[in-house]
Amino acid sequence: MKNILGALSLTTALALASTAATAEVKVGAIFDLTGGLNIYGIQQDNALDLAIESVNAAGGVNGEQVTAVGYDAQSELSKYTQFAQTSVLRDGISAMFAGLTSSSREAIRPILREANIPYFYSSLYEGGACDRQTFVTGSSASQQLNVLIKWAVENYGPKIYIMAPDYNFGTISGHWIHEYAAQNGAEVVGEDYLALSVTDYAPTIQKIQSAKPDVVVALPVGAAQTGFLEQFAAAGLKDSIGVVSTNYGSGNQQVVVSPQAGEGLVSAMGYFPSVESTANAAFKTAWEAKYGTETPIVAGAVDVWNAVHLWAAAVNKAGSTEPDAVIGALESGLTFDAPNGTVTLEPGSHHLRQDIYIARGNAANGFDIVETFADSAPTYENEQCDLIKNPGLAEHFTPES
Amino acid sequence: MELDFLATVLLSSLSSASILLIATLGLAVVYGLMGVINLAHGEFLMVGAYSALTATQIGLPFLLAIPVAVAMTMLIGAIVELLIIRRLYGRLFDTMLATWGLGMVFNQGAVLLFGTVSPGIGMPQWNFKIGDYSLAVYPIAMIFVAAVMLAFVYMLMTKTLYGMKARASIQEPEMAQAIGIDSSRVNTLTFAIGCGLAGFAGAILLPIVPATPSMGLFFAVKGFLTVVVAGPVALTGSAVTALGLGGGASLTASFMTSMVGDVFFFLVTALLLWLYPMGISSKWRRKL
Amino acid sequence: MFEKLHHHAGLVFPILATIAALAVSGSLDAYLAFVATSWVIFGLLGLSLDVIWGRGGFLSLAQTAFYGLGGYFGAVIAINLSPSFGMTVVWALPASALFGALIAAALGYVIFYSRMGALQSTILSYTFTLLLWSVTQTFKLDVGAATIGGDNGLSSIPGFVLGVGSEAAKLKPNAAFAVVVAISAAVYFLTYWLMRSNFGKIVDCIRIDIEKIELLGYDIRKFQVLNFAYSGAVAGIAGSLFALWANYLNPSIFSVQEALLIPIYVLVGGLGTLAGPFLGALVIGALSFWLGGGAAGGQTTLILGAVLILLVLFLQNGFLGALDKLWKRHLPDPNDAARHAGAVKIDTDVLEEILRDASDQAGPAKNLTTDEAYKRFGGVIPVNKVSRNFVPGKPYALIGPNGAGKSSFLKTCVGIYRPEGGRISLDDDDITKLPIFARVRTGMGVKNQKPQVFGENTVMENLWIAAYARTKEAGAAEAISRRILGMLGLEAQCDVQASTLSHGQQQWLDIGMVLCLAPRVVLLDEPAAGMTNEETRELSVLVRTLAKHTTVVVVEHDMEFVRTLEGHVTVLHQGKLFAEGDIETLRANDAVLDIYLGRGVHV
Repeated sequence: MKNILGALSLTTALALASTAATAEVKVGAIFDLTGGLNIYGIQQDNALDLAIESVNAAGGVNGEQVTAVGYDAQSELSKYTQFAQTSVLRDGISAMFAGLTSSSREAIRPILREANIPYFYSSLYEGGACDRQTFVTGSSASQQLNVLIKWAVENYGPKIYIMAPDYNFGTISGHWIHEYAAQNGAEVVGEDYLALSVTDYAPTIQKIQSAKPDVVVALPVGAAQTGFLEQFAAAGLKDSIGVVSTNYGSGNQQVVVSPQAGEGLVSAMGYFPSVESTANAAFKTAWEAKYGTETPIVAGAVDVWNAVHLWAAAVNKAGSTEPDAVIGALESGLTFDAPNGTVTLEPGSHHLRQDIYIARGNAANGFDIVETFADSAPTYENEQCDLIKNPGLAEHFTPES
Repeated sequence: MELDFLATVLLSSLSSASILLIATLGLAVVYGLMGVINLAHGEFLMVGAYSALTATQIGLPFLLAIPVAVAMTMLIGAIVELLIIRRLYGRLFDTMLATWGLGMVFNQGAVLLFGTVSPGIGMPQWNFKIGDYSLAVYPIAMIFVAAVMLAFVYMLMTKTLYGMKARASIQEPEMAQAIGIDSSRVNTLTFAIGCGLAGFAGAILLPIVPATPSMGLFFAVKGFLTVVVAGPVALTGSAVTALGLGGGASLTASFMTSMVGDVFFFLVTALLLWLYPMGISSKWRRKL
Repeated sequence: MFEKLHHHAGLVFPILATIAALAVSGSLDAYLAFVATSWVIFGLLGLSLDVIWGRGGFLSLAQTAFYGLGGYFGAVIAINLSPSFGMTVVWALPASALFGALIAAALGYVIFYSRMGALQSTILSYTFTLLLWSVTQTFKLDVGAATIGGDNGLSSIPGFVLGVGSEAAKLKPNAAFAVVVAISAAVYFLTYWLMRSNFGKIVDCIRIDIEKIELLGYDIRKFQVLNFAYSGAVAGIAGSLFALWANYLNPSIFSVQEALLIPIYVLVGGLGTLAGPFLGALVIGALSFWLGGGAAGGQTTLILGAVLILLVLFLQNGFLGALDKLWKRHLPDPNDAARHAGAVKIDTDVLEEILRDASDQAGPAKNLTTDEAYKRFGGVIPVNKVSRNFVPGKPYALIGPNGAGKSSFLKTCVGIYRPEGGRISLDDDDITKLPIFARVRTGMGVKNQKPQVFGENTVMENLWIAAYARTKEAGAAEAISRRILGMLGLEAQCDVQASTLSHGQQQWLDIGMVLCLAPRVVLLDEPAAGMTNEETRELSVLVRTLAKHTTVVVVEHDMEFVRTLEGHVTVLHQGKLFAEGDIETLRANDAVLDIYLGRGVHV
């Protein structure tokens, strides 16, 4: 049965021979185009295509056209490993753009580290990733919570309740909420970490009422978040207790949630479609021309857009796609006029210094920007991770809790 | 412990148990009357939710959208029975695998048809207070819905000709054949009813659980455990098990953490299966 | 020639495939070698399910749990040992096998020793996987250099390293492929050998008829747990190979999607074929790999789901099963001889000799005594305080109208029903609380109403497995079963599948299996059912001869047959002893006639 493999290798060898010749720069892309995570994955992939088009329209990198070799990870982790290896072993890529969840990043990070290929991770996440080949263009939890908690305490009051999923994103966010609450003279009056399988929020809602907070930081993911918000609003609590989040609106939550539950919710992220700038207007025009207006653009898509442009700028600066040269250029304090304001790639931590927006859900399933915290630094990552001084680091820092 | 908190917790735990029961009844009917475990049950729930959602989007009021969802899922259920289930009678595990495949097809089909972004319909903004605690009316109303649903299924099985035929077919298959009951037609109807109940659940729970392609998974998983722990007396057994497991898990979650509530559910399931290897109702004398 | 090849197909073709895979491993594209490695690993995981499901008859959805736990455990060991010693393969595999086996044994103990229903067992195994998935999301632990980080997983797992010492290099994809093929082949051939061994034969019989194999005196629970542990070990090995392949593990390894992919591998290849899962993993892996990259990529799950439905509906035995069927059509039918089987003729001299030898080996006949034995089902009391002593010499016949509790009484003596009260003893041994197999070991031989034979096995295999239960020695079992085979006159049918025998012949085979046990007490439930008059006469001869050497109790409807037994007759009515005596006096007893005719004045 296994000798079929021989035949397979022959056909692929032939297929390879026909694709080798033309002068172009290849980049790899692995996103979840199917399965539960495709709300994000499809848009990330769309953003990648759009960004490459824009880079090529501006003359490519060092005069060569960029092409993407894309794979669908099907929301399965083992596919990330498989396709990352395929990209490295077969496709001969110069950079990799991939991943949504932290686990997907951790799955492929070592592979690209070993192959010495710059890897761009473009999603908001709990923070702390530190690796010479890895560049993070999403915002980290501390980056968002730093401004959000301050804003929430000022606007709602000093008693905070944490409601988060019971895994790294939730528990690490919980740590930062405690820390920033203390900094702002506020107090965490209760916390509940929910298992991923929970669909019943009644117990949480009672515990919230029992703790009597001024504001709830609600961080559950996907459908769990909308389920919680509906029940919270229907219980009539929305008027007396504020709800803030760092991931509400990162996917499609503001569309799924009914207007009566979604209106007035506050979210802090690195991008909202309603950001007003010429860069964003141009980006949105290009996006809508290609993909329509049906689904709102998620932050992860803009993070990918920024990643591609930062990489292209670095390759142009380095004058080659040679990995160490590109990484050197990326570590030179590149900035980019992004849809979400000017972003700067921190040389030491490989994270982005970027604007953090506080926005409030409106009745039309959209967001109104309330306040902009310009040029927010990834403080925690900058403290922990200095890859200029210590290029051998390969760690995932987590705050002591 | 304040009394109002206790009352709130008890009431909403009962509501949680009722929601579990609503989501499980269709599964219990199909298992109890056909001996078939429908692993696509969660997906039928999802189909019901999307049917109701689509119906409201074209302008039907929510209450009228529910029958649409039931009709839709019953129709699909009947077709599935005729095309797949019928060929696998007596092959419990093959039926499970085939319906699991069906569930994957439905799931991906929903992604293709509806995409992943569907606006929710929201919950009626009614609430009431017990002491300091405010509760949403809709989830609490599910206690009543579950009771009505249970009574309806019970009446259907005991007071209608179909119900008698269906029970005869499972209890005395040869005798039922001999007195002229067309058991395959009865089974088609039973499966369709089971799926219709799932569709009803998906529709009625839509305000609580937003429609997503994978919304049925965790309901279905807890539903399977409930039905299996219940054992041969599927209807009464499932009601008791849903109350115990669902309510217990919710109570545990209220006083401890949600994680503990979840672990409670799984561990008690395992414990019950250890104590009652064939299900808790294996020695009961009731038949329904 | 072809028959021989067919018989050894499970050995010959996998050897060829292994050689072919190793031969091309050097020249494969590196990336294809890398991906194909995962297919082999998934095949190995499928094999672990095939062992417990295809052979053991238990659809376990916990294989991913053993796979994941084995992977984590092996990876932690590899991470800690490889920096100084290298050889990740050598450290990780045995550790993960052991860990997988231990976890499986623990879960198996709960499932099998509580004698859980089939559906309940499957669902419990599913629960176990889900629980692990839920718990591992937040499970964080540092073990030496390894950091298990909840949903962020366990990273930086070293690859396949064969060399010794800290400088040993990670194998390149092609070499890793060859190593995984070699390891998987080794596990496959070990499994193949195990499933052909006596252990495997017993496991097969558990799948075919779990009650009968216990009635032969096998402690099935032990075999089930051992088999489950073995499958857990195989899954554990697959897990640590996966860890070394992926260099990363995370709780998604315990997810529902993963858990349910394994049955697909097994079904595609062929359930119970052992080699099938490898074929299945190859087909599915290749399919989803090419679909995943291509235009139809988004539809992978849709296609997999549809494939599963079609497989279950139309290709029950997978590719290998279908192939086997096709091949068998061109081979001479081994069951041909079933059609030429003559009538059974009991040679009493041979039988006497067999029974005398049995006495020499197993000791004298034993008395069966029930003291107030009591069994109830809800409001029905089929065995109501029955006290009776059965001794050797003449056969006992239990008669009574339908529902009198005859079969229930027998089942209570055997242990199929657990009595709520009273005492059952063999000679002086109290066996009331013993499980079935233990009663059989103390000397009880039972034949139930329906003929219970292992239909897929040959006539000879049926007798052998019974004889082996007592002798525990293959050669002696062979000799005993040959003698019984001769006595039954089924020599020509020895290689015939038991299911192709006529109903009457199956009854004889079943009786033959009971005789193989050299029982000291024989319980027969309507042995004459479905037999011709001629066969019934032979049976009567057999029962009378048997009663001279052992205690014999027969439940029977056929009054003519009871009369020819010339033994004690006991009438049961509504679960109680009603009357006793020889058949002639009972026939004259008005009260007995009344209950038979339903003139219910006697309660």
